[in-house]
Amino acid sequence: MDSNLISTDFETVVEALIFAADEPVTEEMMLDVYVEVTGRQRPTGQEVGESIERINSEYARTGRPFRIHKWAGGYRMATVPGMAPFLRVFFNESKNRRLSPSLVETLAVVAYRQPVTRPEVDFIRGVDADYAIRRLMELGLIEIVGRSESLGRPLLYGTTPRFLDQLGIGSLDELPQLRDIEELLNDPSFNRERARLFSLRIDETESETGQALQAES
Amino acid sequence: MYRIQLQEFEGPLDLLLFFIRRDELDIYDIPVAQIADEFLEYVRHLERVDLDGVGDFIYMAALLIRIKAKMLLPVQETDEEGEPVDPRRELVDRLLEYVRFKEGAQQLSEYHERRTEHFTRGLASGEARQFLDEMDVRLDVSVSDLVTALRRVLTRASEEPVHEVRRFEYTVEDQQEYVLAQLAIKPKHSFASLVKGRSKPFIITTFLAVLELARAERIWLLTESTRILDFYVSRREPSGKVEQKKEWLSNGAAA
Repeated sequence: MDSNLISTDFETVVEALIFAADEPVTEEMMLDVYVEVTGRQRPTGQEVGESIERINSEYARTGRPFRIHKWAGGYRMATVPGMAPFLRVFFNESKNRRLSPSLVETLAVVAYRQPVTRPEVDFIRGVDADYAIRRLMELGLIEIVGRSESLGRPLLYGTTPRFLDQLGIGSLDELPQLRDIEELLNDPSFNRERARLFSLRIDETESETGQALQAES
Repeated sequence: MYRIQLQEFEGPLDLLLFFIRRDELDIYDIPVAQIADEFLEYVRHLERVDLDGVGDFIYMAALLIRIKAKMLLPVQETDEEGEPVDPRRELVDRLLEYVRFKEGAQQLSEYHERRTEHFTRGLASGEARQFLDEMDVRLDVSVSDLVTALRRVLTRASEEPVHEVRRFEYTVEDQQEYVLAQLAIKPKHSFASLVKGRSKPFIITTFLAVLELARAERIWLLTESTRILDFYVSRREPSGKVEQKKEWLSNGAAA
């Protein structure tokens, strides 16, 4: 009974801290605060996870429009997707908060190859990545993480905690795996893409829109 | 005859990939000669629209031509085991690597999009807004549209006279008189109403005059939180600080 009571208390503290914070709160932070204030025994990391689970199922049971997510190495409260249309209007946001293709491509190279130098990013993409890297730094999605030991000691880039938060993942381990080449080539969707491009080609031949440049083969 | 949508390509590797997919080519057996010609054709178009990125494409075109030339040579390079080395090998490896990252980028994009469905606390304080403002705006136009637009602008601009220098018709001193005269009629004016329908030189000198008058403590400047694009100018009665005021007057308005 007694231990039950403590556990319940801790759960309440956890909920309060996450509710009040405007950035992900780490397990450590919550445990430190709890011990500092109550002087009670330090709960285990597992208890944090269990508390969050109980809180979330309680939210779900009572139809609350928010959940606690594990993002960027901490816990953060966020509304459920069903509320998005209302919040977009409320915050006067357009639906497309998307990064441009060149930014996402550069971001992917940095994310999967970090720590990575700019010449390496250039090489993989086959284009100069100077602009994209600067933009991603401005957006706080990547940062300089050091210098390479190679000639000229070029800067090394890596992703930030904000990157994890903006992708809705807890850590870099949760990044989707890059597929192996064999797997990629055998994927029927690769051929579907071919089919799509092929049909595009026919459409383009027939259409007279000013959307495209003309070329002679 | 075919058409290419320029905006679809993120770079020369992306374009090569497009050719390979479109023509259902075996990625390990690319007909370099044919692809190189098509690639060059594209680069020529690109040069015409003069994109910043054309250098990357020219580099790749050169690489393709080099491979093409190598394949025509009777003697081929061999690796350590004496096996002939396909000159296309390096390019193919790069392409395949690029495909992996391109797909990775697609996945990251999906993750990010899903995340935007969730709203967190602290958003109202501007985090989301800031992020939104910084997003690149994606224009739904092709490069040729932009070129057409640019041409139109350039043609029109050249018809206008260039390098004409004129003296400003207004002075800051005159405009101070003007503002004070207006305030004598009505004690409070919005800045916009003071310069309504006037020329740019008029607006600029009036603005400078208003600043000068404010500095000389002869007027008040008022703002309203609801009208952030405008402000008010009102008459300021002489205050008790006579000494200081004198000093200002001697420095300030020409009067």
